[in-house]
Amino acid sequence: MSIWTKLETLDRRWVYLMVSIAVIVPFIIEAKFPISITPEARKLFEAVEAVPDSSNVFVVFDYYASTTAECEPMSRAAVRHFFRKDCKVITLTNIPLGGPSMSERVTREVALEYDKEYGVDFVNLGFKYGYVAVLSGMGTSIESIFPTDNSGTPLSELPLMDSVYNYDDIEFIFEVADNATAEFWVSIVNAQYGVPIGCGTTAVSAPKYYSFVQSGQFVGLLGGMKGAAEYELMMDQPDLAVRGMAVQSLVHLLIIGFVVLGNLGYFLGPRKKKRSAF
Amino acid sequence: MSGVELFQIWLVAFATLALFSFMYKDNPFYRVAEHVFTGLSAGYYIGLTWDTIIVTQLWNPMMSGRWWLFIPGILSLLMFTRLSPRFSWVSRTSLAFVMGVTAGGALVFQLHGLVLPQIQSTMMPLWGSEGVGTLLLTIIMVIGVISTLIYFYYSKEHKGVLGMTARVGIWFIMISFGAHFGYTVMGRVSLLIGRVQFLIEDWIGSFGQIG
Amino acid sequence: MRTTVPIAVAFIAGMVVAVSYFFADESAIGWLRLEFLVWLIIVGGMTLALGVVSIVRVNWDAVKKRKEGWPYKVLTLVSVFAMGVPAVLPESWSPLFGRNQGSIYEWLFTYLDAPMMATMFATLAFYIASAAYRAFRARNAEATVLLITATAVMLWRVPMGEAFLNLFPGDIPYFLNTYIMAGANMAVQRGIIIGAALGAASMSLRIILGIERTYMGRG
Repeated sequence: MSIWTKLETLDRRWVYLMVSIAVIVPFIIEAKFPISITPEARKLFEAVEAVPDSSNVFVVFDYYASTTAECEPMSRAAVRHFFRKDCKVITLTNIPLGGPSMSERVTREVALEYDKEYGVDFVNLGFKYGYVAVLSGMGTSIESIFPTDNSGTPLSELPLMDSVYNYDDIEFIFEVADNATAEFWVSIVNAQYGVPIGCGTTAVSAPKYYSFVQSGQFVGLLGGMKGAAEYELMMDQPDLAVRGMAVQSLVHLLIIGFVVLGNLGYFLGPRKKKRSAF
Repeated sequence: MSGVELFQIWLVAFATLALFSFMYKDNPFYRVAEHVFTGLSAGYYIGLTWDTIIVTQLWNPMMSGRWWLFIPGILSLLMFTRLSPRFSWVSRTSLAFVMGVTAGGALVFQLHGLVLPQIQSTMMPLWGSEGVGTLLLTIIMVIGVISTLIYFYYSKEHKGVLGMTARVGIWFIMISFGAHFGYTVMGRVSLLIGRVQFLIEDWIGSFGQIG
Repeated sequence: MRTTVPIAVAFIAGMVVAVSYFFADESAIGWLRLEFLVWLIIVGGMTLALGVVSIVRVNWDAVKKRKEGWPYKVLTLVSVFAMGVPAVLPESWSPLFGRNQGSIYEWLFTYLDAPMMATMFATLAFYIASAAYRAFRARNAEATVLLITATAVMLWRVPMGEAFLNLFPGDIPYFLNTYIMAGANMAVQRGIIIGAALGAASMSLRIILGIERTYMGRG
């Protein structure tokens, strides 16, 4: 059996083991490389900077717990950025499984850093079912869609909500999404009500959303952990995403190595293997 | 670090490692974690539906005068007839309402919010562009959009000019799918980093707190 | 009766919502639209509960009939109720009940459900690495373009890879972002977005007009 044949029939668990090592090693041996900022991320940061201080803004937690590693650094950075500008942050989610819990936890943790008070400086509206109903309905009246906040307190009892009736009272929407909800925010809220939207999304969704950046429907875009790291750096508050980038580097190089090795085996190995490669 | 915090970290670590153990092979630890996960996820919906729909959206408003909400209340109950093969047809009315409202909204926002702005942004002026780079980008964009649309147009056989344009579309699509693959790798690796970060920094970091 | 009523309901509901965009929120049709949207939240939201009932039924059935792996199904059932029951009990009875911070519901989500969901998806990194090794082949010109783009993007999106790309003449990271991501990739995605949106709009019209009825199922 030639070396190429051996490589072609390698037990998948060896691949898994190598990936595991590549993820663990950078935590032990730190290697630092500069992280560049893409124009899309910079645009988003500048758009948030341009939001007048003390404005009412939405931070939308449209992601599942499965993508916390990519999305949470973005939502955390967004809430930090708005609190830094003394903006009134209203959070909500279209994700039934865990969305309300994560928005509550993240916002409360960040609020502690900035000494912000619930009901006055921030409110968590929580979850309601149905993108079309929720996003369209809030254009007429937020209170009709969310009669209470996530904890069951009527909106009329929350001072922050006194000045917020519908999208006319919202200056900016920071949407963090790991699914197609971002498209609904674009097509319903931005198109019909004209509220500027910035989007942070998973790496899987990012290539699609370049189209919305070019059309101006998104003011900017953060793609995956790299996007989150870029935002953390622009905020001058490096956190989880920046730490994760060093690890990301090594695993990417390993996977590129796998692609090269797999192709070498494909071209240099026995012909019959070529036909059964897929 | 308190005892409770330590317990929480170890519980998360156990669940994480139990699920990762499947990468070696199927085993009872994995099966336990998998089934607990399914149950908890379903259980999460009980609290959510009760609180965000039944209490705040239906019961409380009805009690404060919006009596007509009994209509969606009944439609909601009819939905449960789906569980009976004999009466499942009754749920069609509820389903039709959901589909109708969603379709009514979608009809407008798909055209107004996606099709029109996206087409409008594709029609960029070639003359008067800011430099050669922008001109090149505009040309790439127009050719890419048209050839992709034609590639996915299956009502006519891809021959002649249509076939040639579809061929160009394939090249564009391959570039885009390649970019997608690169990004997907990044996304998946990020998720793994998140878990390993927890195991190394929080769980292994907690070893010094024991005893 | 079995199909006429649902078709009429879909028609009325769809037309009200679609036509209301041309009227002010304060108009009668604007009021009806908002009502319908709230009703949608209620009726559609109940499908989540329907899913839970379905899961309980399937697992209960497996336990009752002692099907293979039934002890695990017991765990699923216990987990469903351990999470769900305390959440519906009033918070005034105990801070452990309800859905707020400090409740059993929140604790189970934060320390079991969320990390397990994250781990389930994290395993995909292993599968994608394995797929890259076994299936990602330059078998023809198109596949080669895909492979080269993917490799270049993978390098560009990480600091170490970007540092490597900067060793070559010309600004490769700028080229990748401007002409690949915001150029060719964007054009393709735009084509797909336009095509899918046109499809969704026509499907919506078919549903409102009662031409599309597959959502009703058979019977």
